[in-house]
Amino acid sequence: MKLQHYLGGLEGLGPVNLEKRVFVAEWEKRIFGIHTVMMAESTHLDKALPKYPIAHVPTTFKETWTWASLRTGAEGMQPFEYFKYRYYEKWLMGISQFFVDRGYVAAEELATLTEHYRANPDAPLPAQPNLALKEQVVRYLNHGDSGLRAPITPVRFAVGDTVYVADPEAADHTRLPGFLRNKKGTVTEVYPGAYEYFVSTGPDGLVGPQHVYCVSFEASDIWGADKSEPHTVIYADLFDVYLKPAH
Amino acid sequence: MAALFGYDDDREAASAAKVRALEALLIKKGVLGSDSIDAVLSHFETVAGPFNGARIVARAWLDSEYKRRLLQDTPKAIAELNFPGMDGAEGEHMKAVANSESVHNLVICTLCSCYPWPVLGLPPYWYKDPVFRARGVREPRAVLREFGVQISADKEVKVWDSSAQIRWFVIPERPAHSEHLTEAQLAALVTPEAMMGVALVPAPTAA
Repeated sequence: MKLQHYLGGLEGLGPVNLEKRVFVAEWEKRIFGIHTVMMAESTHLDKALPKYPIAHVPTTFKETWTWASLRTGAEGMQPFEYFKYRYYEKWLMGISQFFVDRGYVAAEELATLTEHYRANPDAPLPAQPNLALKEQVVRYLNHGDSGLRAPITPVRFAVGDTVYVADPEAADHTRLPGFLRNKKGTVTEVYPGAYEYFVSTGPDGLVGPQHVYCVSFEASDIWGADKSEPHTVIYADLFDVYLKPAH
Repeated sequence: MAALFGYDDDREAASAAKVRALEALLIKKGVLGSDSIDAVLSHFETVAGPFNGARIVARAWLDSEYKRRLLQDTPKAIAELNFPGMDGAEGEHMKAVANSESVHNLVICTLCSCYPWPVLGLPPYWYKDPVFRARGVREPRAVLREFGVQISADKEVKVWDSSAQIRWFVIPERPAHSEHLTEAQLAALVTPEAMMGVALVPAPTAA
């Protein structure tokens, strides 16, 4: 098991952080912005809904970059490292390493320029606007990247069905919350259409378009009757491959 | 965990310099324009943000028929209000759930930080905090108490773990003594925390 997949239910962590700010340092806005522009110019967007004319957007970025890329990176971190860093610190580490690994940026030039900005925090950025890219960023933010597809397999479960959650191999990335594995739930909604996740998660099972179900779980069925709060129900949206029939 | 957020200036200065260097190199190499990131940030100041969610909630409080439609087909009911970008990034498929006398809803993402961007903007730190994500599904009432919200034992708590396409948000209960308020005044009472279920909407203070 990978700890990042099993955060739900972990005990002994102390009080929650009540910080209401979205960004706790100005620099965090910039890495959030870089990630979001990468998503807006990702090469896969010609197949996404809506079908963006991404090949015509003037950018040297020729990669698929989605939420799955960022999540896979975070889930691939050594778990104790994962907890050492703040949310956007992890983004900065993962995204800068991606650009180095893919050859867009040399590690040395990044280190050298970082030293430069360290010594001169107010030194300007290059002025090189890109109107067509900006328009694509705005289009992406306003129209998104839906995974809705035509279903290719029959619906396996109906509202009211008892289901068990599967226990697939631990892969690099999953959309199955670990605390639900092998637990018993009840289908409360069958979403219309099918959904294709951004990437295949391989042995984890997210391959191609799948039906998605909302499944309810009694807290006592997950944590044990004497270890859970009363009158508590947990709902999760689960891809078809993560569910098994009750018998 | 508070100590984890008490970074020294050096750690912040290092990250600030690194992200600036990365942005500069990506502009130079044609991956970004120098106006790209500001376009993103401006979207979250003007188009996508909790100001939309607050107006949707206020409308639902004033119009029970609208609230019914919102719960039944959330995107369609939101579209009635003609806000731009409402099926945009991280809001392609949204669903609203309503608090009531008998139910309290809490939205969480135990795997990452899925959040309904068009109606709520970007997630606050508490939502991204591993401690909230870990404890929220196991002891939601205890977590809510830390946020200052008491949920009686006989009320049902529903926790919505966002793990596929749906981005959830909560229609909080309308506060007492708010009958005289306009839609805009009601909207002003609604916080992002209330629309994720970690806060209630307090009764308005007398003017």
